Amino acid sequence: MKNTITKTNQNLTFAQKALKFLQNNSVPLMFVLICIVCIPISGFSASYLLNEVVTRMGRNIFLILCLLIPIIAGMGLNFGMTLGAMAGEIALILVADWQVWGIPGVVLAMILSIPFSLLLGAFCGKILNMSKGREMITSYIISYFINGIYQLVVLYMMGKVIPIKHTSLKLPRGYGIRNTTSLLNMRQCLDNLIDVQIGGVKIPVLTFIIIALLCAFIVWFRKTKLGQDMRAVGQDMQVARDAGINVEKTRIISIVMSTVLAGFGMVIYLQNMGNISTYSSHSQIGMFCIAALLVGGASVDRASIGNVFLGVILFHTMFIVAPSAGAHITGDSMIGEYFRVFVSYGVITLALVMYETKKRKMKSSVGEQLQREQEEGDGKNEN
Amino acid sequence: MQEKFHDVLSSFGLPRLIITGFLILLFIMAPFVGADFPTQLTNTINRFSWNAVLVLAMVPMIHSGCGLNFGLPLGIISGLLGATLSIEFGFTGPMSFVMACLIATPFALLFGSGYGWLLNKIKGGEMMIATYVGFSSVSLMCMMWLLLPYKSPTMVWGFAGKGLRTTISLEGFYDKALSDLLQINIGTLSIPTGALLFFAVLAFLMWAFLHTKTGTAMTAVGSNPTFAKAAGVNVDKMRLLSVVLSTWLAAIGILVYEQGFGFVQLYMAPFNMALPAVSAILIGGASVNKASIANVIIGTFLFQGIVTMTPTVMNSMIHTDMSEVIRIVVSNGMILYALTRKTEGSK
Amino acid sequence: MKTKVLLFRAGTILILIAIAAVMLVIGRGHTVYFENSEATFDGQTFKGPYKVTVYVDGEQVAKLYDGERGMATCIGQTFKMEMKIMNEKGGDEQFVAVTMPLPRDMDGILINLPTLLAGQPEAAYLSEFIIAEPEPETETTAADEFGLTTEF
Repeated sequence: MKNTITKTNQNLTFAQKALKFLQNNSVPLMFVLICIVCIPISGFSASYLLNEVVTRMGRNIFLILCLLIPIIAGMGLNFGMTLGAMAGEIALILVADWQVWGIPGVVLAMILSIPFSLLLGAFCGKILNMSKGREMITSYIISYFINGIYQLVVLYMMGKVIPIKHTSLKLPRGYGIRNTTSLLNMRQCLDNLIDVQIGGVKIPVLTFIIIALLCAFIVWFRKTKLGQDMRAVGQDMQVARDAGINVEKTRIISIVMSTVLAGFGMVIYLQNMGNISTYSSHSQIGMFCIAALLVGGASVDRASIGNVFLGVILFHTMFIVAPSAGAHITGDSMIGEYFRVFVSYGVITLALVMYETKKRKMKSSVGEQLQREQEEGDGKNEN
Repeated sequence: MQEKFHDVLSSFGLPRLIITGFLILLFIMAPFVGADFPTQLTNTINRFSWNAVLVLAMVPMIHSGCGLNFGLPLGIISGLLGATLSIEFGFTGPMSFVMACLIATPFALLFGSGYGWLLNKIKGGEMMIATYVGFSSVSLMCMMWLLLPYKSPTMVWGFAGKGLRTTISLEGFYDKALSDLLQINIGTLSIPTGALLFFAVLAFLMWAFLHTKTGTAMTAVGSNPTFAKAAGVNVDKMRLLSVVLSTWLAAIGILVYEQGFGFVQLYMAPFNMALPAVSAILIGGASVNKASIANVIIGTFLFQGIVTMTPTVMNSMIHTDMSEVIRIVVSNGMILYALTRKTEGSK
Repeated sequence: MKTKVLLFRAGTILILIAIAAVMLVIGRGHTVYFENSEATFDGQTFKGPYKVTVYVDGEQVAKLYDGERGMATCIGQTFKMEMKIMNEKGGDEQFVAVTMPLPRDMDGILINLPTLLAGQPEAAYLSEFIIAEPEPETETTAADEFGLTTEF
């Protein structure tokens, strides 16, 4: 008799475990499902898909990794990573005008992006400190605001105030940068420096080495004093402040780091693309990076390097196959295109909702516990 | 006295002062650069009449403490469904406007209730989620506009015979249905009385509603939810009501906008429509948890004034059309300013 | 402690600036054009060989008969090329390797091969080549990776 009970208990716990696993990983599992359905319909060959996914991993992972640091500091998804992307673009435009090519051009653009990133990151961090509790919406609006400033600089000041020598970069009117800035002379120079072909799949080894270095840095950084401080700030600002941590400064540092890394990431991303869509490259990058991270099973307050890798693979597989699959099913290629945009937004919405409901549940359970303890205390007093 | 002045100034806010000053400067500059003042004023008033209802849609949610309604696109979609269905069912002329409003209403109530229910589950994170609810719904509808079985030849792509066009002309339907009503013309100055009256009626109803028992309860929920709960107000119900109201006003708002503009814009058009409305009400003096009808009127006028005046004045002054950039910086700067204010009662 | 941090920061900034400066020099890209056509310098006229085949980095970049032009790109201030020269049609080919410094401030550089082969000074064979106003290209918006035709 006793045996059966324990057995059912065990079964129950297993079922619960399975349920819990499903709950915790619902987003990645959903994406696995989407991919499984869409891949055969799209009719792409395995080697084509693999090639595409590996390329996209090389170009996106660095950018997505920069989102991890603000999450450690409890500042949520950094929609302000767009700022770093803009810094990277400005640096690349200047480097293209100075005609610095190849790897030196990439390195120079990265160094050049640092001052812009520092400035923008510090600005973003300051503003976010003034709007604690609604960091995400604020960082989101900041990205729009700075986009206005970016346009002011690139569309009106470059060529007038900031010297741009080459007419091939400028709009016919003599100032302002063209819609597309060509990076032909540094196209994929990082990816091609050491590349290995395995079964028809090109692997950009150097890019992956750089990504591995960043991963190692993040792992190491979490263990440093600053990293521990950030985690403390992320868990409870008040407690951290009582422990003598300069909360405001720590938060600003986390945003600045994220912005600088986003600048580097954007340079890597664009050297792979080979050209800059001067006025739109950065506006989409934030949304797609965040969506990819969330697809990997991250949440607003918890994200790991594993989430980044899984997310990139799943999200970009969906991204590659959706238009073709959509076209095969409905006969209209636009459907697939809208579908993947819808999925990107939907995933972000879903993750945000899950995070907020979890937060509320935790809050209310803590409240209940406090109340229960209080009632127990009252009861004792009466006795 | 001076202290009082200082108080007024600080409550008004520096950015708002700069924006007002900027607009006044634009109006002063206009005659010097050769812009015709009555035309400019006509344009501003016209654009005011198009947009005012959309800005009014912000009011209920701010009152109930749900924050700025970045999810405005959801309401706009209800309006678009009303507009397209009204045309599809063959209504023409001003009647099509009435029908569009009627058809949009059930959609707005439905979407609004769902949206309100969601926002009740995630108290404290409303604005971010509202933004993404708006985005998701717009991109979902992008697919729907292609897939829904619309047939009307004025709306679908000619060569494919299916899928709605990105812009649909309203000529013969409700183009200027309100604007031309009782229009007053004095020289080059023309006033779209009908549209202004329509807004006035809605604004008055909103004002009256906020002074009813339900309205005050809603405000109480926004300013102090704990107190409201203690006083026996059903917090969730009030919030839900405010969201539904907001969504419905957005639906009507987009129809008013379309009748002035003359076109229905589908697909990605509603995507960024929330930001101008949000910044307009903030420019008018509202904050994340406080808004009045006066804020709506002042804000819309200031914002639309800047939007209409900057291109002409700037163009003739420095021969560069920087109005787009100015609009982006001004509107988002204003939202940013409002988000960084420490507002009492907010979470 | 404070000074140590300050020094460390100043050092980092200096190192970064130094790297940037180095990159600026070694990464400067040039487009090198070479022409195999008759040229006059100092009253002397140099006639080109029948055919020149130009190799950069072991790859053939151009095969130039009389009056023809070719191009190659070069990163840095030193340009190395190898030429296979055939003076007469059907004649023997001889191999010449040339290394030359390039001026930093020129984007396009035109090298006159006959003058160069005749061993004349830099002023004789090297001149700046300014590409005519780029053809008014139709503004094409490069599709990005997301391939979205609509603006989001």
